[in-house]
Amino acid sequence: MSSKQEFFIISGKVDGQRIDSRLLEEQIQSAVAQGHTRLKIEAYGQHGIGGRLWPAGDKKIHVQISGPVGQRAGSMGFANTRIEIFGATSDDIGWLNAGAEIVVHGNAANGACNAMAQGKVFVGGSIGARGMTMTKQNPRFDAPELWVLGSAGDYFGEFMAGGIAVICGHEPQDPSNVLGYRPLVGMVGGKVLFRGPHKGFSRTDAAMIPIDDATWAWLTRGLEDFLTRIDRSELLELLAVREQWQLIKARTPQERVTIDKRAMAAFRREVWDANLGRGGLVGDLTDLDRSPIPLITRGELRRFVPVWENYKYMAPCEASCPTGIPVQQRWKLVRDGRVDEAVDLALAYTPFPATVCGYLCPHPCMGACTKSASLMAPVDVTQLGKASIDAATPELPPVSGTKVAVIGGGPAGISLAWQLRLKGHEAVVYDTAETLGGKIAASIPGSRIPEAVFSKEIQRVRDVISHVHLQQLLSRADTEQLMADYDFVVIAAGARKPRTLPIPGGDRMVTALDFLKAAKAGTARVGKRVVIIGAGNVGCDVATEAARLGAVEITLLDVQEPASFGKEREDAEKAGAKFRWPVFTQAITQAGVQLESGEVIAADSVFISIGDAPDLDFLPEEISVDRGFIKVDDNYQTSHPKVFAIGDVVRPGLLTDAIGAGRRAADTIHAVAAGKRPPTDARTVIDLERISLEYYDPRILQYEDLGHCGSQCASCGQCRDCGICVTMCPESAISRQALESGGYEYVVDADRCIGCGFCAGACPCGIWNLIENAPLG
Amino acid sequence: MLPDRPITPSTLSVKDLLWQIAWHKDKCTLCGRCTAVCPVNAIELGVFRKRTVTASLDPAKPPANAYQVYQGIRQKTDPAYACVGCAMCSLVCPNDAIIPMRGDEADKVRYHVNRGGQPRRRGGRRNVPGGVLDQIKFIRISMLTDPALDAGRHEFELRTLLGRVLAPEDNLKFYRENGWMPPVREIYPLIIGSMSFGALSPNMWEGLQLGVAYLNEELGMPVRMCTGEGGCPPRLLRSRFLKYTILQIASGYFGWDEIIHALPEMKEDPCAIEIKYGQGAKPGDGGLLMWHKVNKLIAAIRGVPTDVSLPSPPTHQTQYSIEESVAKMIQSMSMAWGFRVPVYPKISGSSTAMAVLNNLTRNPFAAGLAIDGEDGGTGAAYDVSMNHMGHPIASNIRDAYRNLVKIGKQNEVPLFAGGGVGKSGNLAANAAALIMLGASGVQIGKYIMQAAAGCLGSESDRCNICNIGLCPKGITSQDPRLYRRLDVDLVAERVVDAFLSFDTELKKIVAPLGRSTALPIGMSDALGVNDYRVAERLDIKYVV
Repeated sequence: MSSKQEFFIISGKVDGQRIDSRLLEEQIQSAVAQGHTRLKIEAYGQHGIGGRLWPAGDKKIHVQISGPVGQRAGSMGFANTRIEIFGATSDDIGWLNAGAEIVVHGNAANGACNAMAQGKVFVGGSIGARGMTMTKQNPRFDAPELWVLGSAGDYFGEFMAGGIAVICGHEPQDPSNVLGYRPLVGMVGGKVLFRGPHKGFSRTDAAMIPIDDATWAWLTRGLEDFLTRIDRSELLELLAVREQWQLIKARTPQERVTIDKRAMAAFRREVWDANLGRGGLVGDLTDLDRSPIPLITRGELRRFVPVWENYKYMAPCEASCPTGIPVQQRWKLVRDGRVDEAVDLALAYTPFPATVCGYLCPHPCMGACTKSASLMAPVDVTQLGKASIDAATPELPPVSGTKVAVIGGGPAGISLAWQLRLKGHEAVVYDTAETLGGKIAASIPGSRIPEAVFSKEIQRVRDVISHVHLQQLLSRADTEQLMADYDFVVIAAGARKPRTLPIPGGDRMVTALDFLKAAKAGTARVGKRVVIIGAGNVGCDVATEAARLGAVEITLLDVQEPASFGKEREDAEKAGAKFRWPVFTQAITQAGVQLESGEVIAADSVFISIGDAPDLDFLPEEISVDRGFIKVDDNYQTSHPKVFAIGDVVRPGLLTDAIGAGRRAADTIHAVAAGKRPPTDARTVIDLERISLEYYDPRILQYEDLGHCGSQCASCGQCRDCGICVTMCPESAISRQALESGGYEYVVDADRCIGCGFCAGACPCGIWNLIENAPLG
Repeated sequence: MLPDRPITPSTLSVKDLLWQIAWHKDKCTLCGRCTAVCPVNAIELGVFRKRTVTASLDPAKPPANAYQVYQGIRQKTDPAYACVGCAMCSLVCPNDAIIPMRGDEADKVRYHVNRGGQPRRRGGRRNVPGGVLDQIKFIRISMLTDPALDAGRHEFELRTLLGRVLAPEDNLKFYRENGWMPPVREIYPLIIGSMSFGALSPNMWEGLQLGVAYLNEELGMPVRMCTGEGGCPPRLLRSRFLKYTILQIASGYFGWDEIIHALPEMKEDPCAIEIKYGQGAKPGDGGLLMWHKVNKLIAAIRGVPTDVSLPSPPTHQTQYSIEESVAKMIQSMSMAWGFRVPVYPKISGSSTAMAVLNNLTRNPFAAGLAIDGEDGGTGAAYDVSMNHMGHPIASNIRDAYRNLVKIGKQNEVPLFAGGGVGKSGNLAANAAALIMLGASGVQIGKYIMQAAAGCLGSESDRCNICNIGLCPKGITSQDPRLYRRLDVDLVAERVVDAFLSFDTELKKIVAPLGRSTALPIGMSDALGVNDYRVAERLDIKYVV
C-alpha cells in the first residue's frame, strides 16, 4: 500500500490489455475504501471514471486522469471529489454531477454537464453539442457551474433549469458564434455569462439582461480561479473586460407569456393597412364603420325599434261592425268620463244607435270581441246602445246644393239620407209605406224592441231628413225622371216581394212579411196549429208572434239545417216551436202541409218565410241586375254612374249591413260630388296576439254598468294611456308627451332604447310594435 | 295560443321544441337584453296572470280569489320562431336567469319546418357528431427505433407541396419537351378552405385574411386561404398578400370579371386556383346568396347590382363531361397567369372521385385534387343534402391515394382532404390521420369559424342559422349591426393561435415518427383503429 499522500496509480490496462470499465471502477472504489485519497488513473477509454466516491465520506478525494478518457467521467460525482483530466474528454463529462469539481484541460465533447445539479466543471477548451443541458439547482446546495474557456457547441443549454454557465469565448470553434446553433431552447432556470458573438438564442425562454456589479465581481473572482485551475492565468487581463461580457437568464413563467410578438393591431396598422390603404381590405368599397360594437346596442345600431301604432289597426269590434262603428273609441270616451260624447259619437255612424245596437242587432262586434279569444265575456255593447237613446241630434251644416233622391225609407235609405245630410247634401226620400222605417217599422215584432225607443229615434231621423215622400209607388218612368232631376239616385227599396213555393195549394200560404205586418198592426189571426216553411230568423219571428197570438203547436220546416240564430231563435224556442229538417214540402192541403215523404203535418195556418226578393219593376233597364238583385261595385255604385243601390235590393243582410251600405254609399257620393275618389280605409284588424288579456279579470260574467264595460274593454289597437310601457321599459326610454292638439303620444328616446320589445310585450292594447331597424349599408 | 282557436297541425308546445328556454323568474331582473339579442325572436316579454285562491271553510271568512299580473320571458312555440339554442340570451343575462336546454326526446319541430312546401334549409354541418377520423390513433411511437424527435425542441419545417410534383429528371425532361414546368408551391399543410366573401361577413373575412398575412409575414408560416366563390376584394388582388390566397372559381363565376380586370395590376400571382365542382356538405346542391345579403359591398366584390339573389348552380353550365370540363377549365385558368399558377379541381367526396382522379393523372396541367367529405360545413343547404348526401372523407382519400400508388403517381398529384377536419375539436389528430391516409394537406372551414370567431354551431343542431343572415356572432351576416360584433384584430389573433397550436400538436404527432420536415403522407403503418372493418377498409392496423 502506498502512502496516502502519494498518488495511488490505477491503470486501465493490465498486461497490455484494456480492462473493462466495471473492473476499473471496482479498483477505484476499492482504493478509496482502503483510504486512498489521491488517485492517478491511466485511462484507456473506460467510462464513468471518478464518480460515486461516497465511500470516502468527508475525506477529500483527488483524482487525476490521464490517457484517453471514456464517456461520463465524474458522473454522479460527490462533493468530496476533485477530478483533473489532462487532455480532452469524451461525452457527458460531469453527467448527473452531484458535487464534484472537475477540471478538463482540453476540450470536452458532447453532453458536458448534462443534468448536473451540483459541483463545478472547468473546461480549458471548448465543449461539444448539448452542453449544460437539463442542469438543475437544488435549493439545498449551491448552484452548479460550468466554466468553458472556448465556445459552446450546438443546442447548448437545452432545458437548462439551474446553474451558471460561463463561456469565455477564447479561441472559439466558430469565431462568429460562441453559443452554437439554437442555444437555450426550453431554458427555465439559471444563467449564462458569455463573451463574444452569438447567433441568437431562444428568446421565448431566455432574456438578455445587464450585468450588475455583484455579478461582475463574482465573475472576475471566478475567472481568476478558473484560469488558475486550467493554468491559463495569463489570460485574466484579456478576458476580464466587462464590456465584452453579456448575461442571459431564463425567463420566469410570468415573463414567458409576454413574448414580444408584434401586436395584431400594430400589424394591421403598419403592414396590412399600410399596403392595402385606409380601411383595409374593403376600405375602397365602403365607408361604413366596421369597428367593434357590443351585443346590446342603442340608437341606429339597434336591430329592432319599437313604434307606437295607436289607431293603426282596427279593433275587431270596429272591423266586424258592418256599420263601421269604432266601438272601442266609445268605450275609451266612457273610461275618460265622457259618456255623452261616447253616445253622440254613434250618430256619426248610424241613425239608429239605440234601435239597432241596443236591441235589434245580432252584434257581430261582440262576437268578434277580443275577450272572447280568451274565453271571457265580450264587452256588452247593448248597454251603450241602449244609452244612445239620449244621443243629441247633431247640428246640421248648411246644404251644399247636391241633391240626392233616395228610393226607399228603410234602414239603408235612412242611413244614406242621414249621412248625406250630415255632410250637407240634400236627400229626398220616397217610400211606398205609410211610415218611415221600412222593415223596422213594419215587420219587426214589438217584443224585440220597445216602441218608444224606435219612435224616439225615428223622430230624430225626421229632424235631420226633412224631405220624405211616403206612399209613393214609383214607376220606371218616375225613376227615370228622378235620375234626370237629381244629381244622384239611390235605390234602397228593400226586398218587398216575399218568395213562395210553386206547389199545389200555394195559395193557402201566408207570407211572413204580410203576417208580421198584420201582427204589428194588430190585425193578424192564427190557428192553434201553425207550420212555418223556412226556419230562418224571420221564420222564428213568425213563430214568436204566432205564439203571442195564440198558436199552440208551432213547427218550423227547412230543407237544410236552419240558419236562424241569436235572440230570434231563442225566442222561438221559448215559444215552444219545433224545428224539423231536412224536409221537403210537396203540397199544402186543407189538412196541412204534405211532405215529399208522404207525411202530412196538420196545420191550421201555414206561413212561408224563405226570403224576400226585391221588386224591381220601377228599375230602368239600363241598370244591371243579377239574379233578381241589383249589381253594384264595392262603393254600391250600379252600372249607371249616377245611380247607387244599397240594402236588400243588392243582397239580403242584417240591419247593420243596410246601415253600413248607406254610410259607404253616402261617403262615395260625397266624394264624387266633390270630384274626388271615394275614400278608402286601408286599416286592417289588429293581430289579436298583440293584446294582453291577462290584465283583465277572467271571471266576469256580466258587466254591471257602462263604467264597468269601459274598464274591461281591451281597447284593442287604441292606447288606453295606462303608462305600463313607460314603467316597463328597462332603459327608461319611453315617455308620454302631450300634444298641442290636446292629445298625447308615447315616444321613444332612440339613444336609450335597446330594442328589447318589452313595451310591445307588456302593452295591454297591442299599440307598441317592434319592427326591424332600417338596413345599414 | 289563443284558447278559443282550434289547434292546427303545426301547433306546438314548448315540450315539442328542440330547444327549450329555461327562465328563472326569481333571478330575472327584466333588463330586456335577452329579447334584444335573440337572433330569431324566439323569446318575448309575456304578461302572466297568477291566480291565488285563499281557501277558507269558515263562513265568517269566505274563500277569496285574487289575481296578480306579472311580466316575464315567454318562449314562442311557432316553428317559424323556434329557439335555435344559440344561448346568446344566456350570454347577455346579468343574472344567469335564462338558458336554452335541449329537449330530452326527438323534437316535433322537424316535422313542421317545411311551410309552403319548402324543405328545411340551414347552415352548419351534418347533424351527426363524431366520426371515423376521431377513432384513428397513431400507433407508431418511436422511442429508440426511428430517430425520435422532440416536438418542443427540434426544428420542424412542416410543409407540403401544391402542384404537379415531378421527379427532377422528369421535370427536366418535361421542360425539354414542353418548354414549361408545372408550378409547385411549398405551403403549410393546413389550408383555410373556401368560404366566400358574402357567405362570411366582411369582418370575418378580413380577420381570416389578416391572420393569414400575420402567420406568413411575422411567423414565417406559409399558410394559405381560399377565397371561396364570391370574388376577391380589389385591394387584395392588387396587393402582395394575394400570394397567400387561393382564388376559387365555381359555377356562379361571381367576381371573376373583377379578377380579370385586376390581372394587369397584380403585384403577385395568387397561390393557386381552385375550381370548385362540388362541396362535401351539400353534393349536388348549389349555393344561393339571398338578395337581402347582396348589399353594396357584396355587390361590388361580386360584380353584380345590389339586391339580387345570386345562385351558384350545382353544375357548371358549359361543361358536359369530366374529360372536357376538367381539361378545359384547368387549361383556361392556367393560361390566365401564364402557366405560373397551380390549378386544381375541388370535388365533393363521391364514389366517382376515382374517375376524376384518374383523369387528372393524365392531365399534365392538373396541380392536384381536393376532395371535400360529407362532414364539411356550409352556409346554406337543404337539410336533406347536408344530412344524407356525400361520402366520408377517410375512405375516399384513402382510395384516391391507393389508386395513385398503383400507377406510381402518389408523389406527383397531391390530394387535399376536407370535410369535418377538427369536427370534434381534434384538428391536428384528424389532419394527421388524413395525411397518413394519403392527403398532402387538409382544408378547414367550420373549424376556423369556431376557433377564430366563436361560431356556436354544432352537430346537435345548435344555431346553424348561417343561411338567414342572422348569425349571432356576426360571422355569416352582412348586417353591420351583427358583423360589427366581430373584431377583425381579435379574429386574426385567434387564427394565429389556432395555427400555432395546430402546429405544435402536429409536431407532437409526427415527431415520434421521426419526421421533422417531410410530412408522413400515406404513412399508414402509423395508423391504427379499434374497429376491424374500418381497419380493413382503410388498410390500416387493427388494434385493440
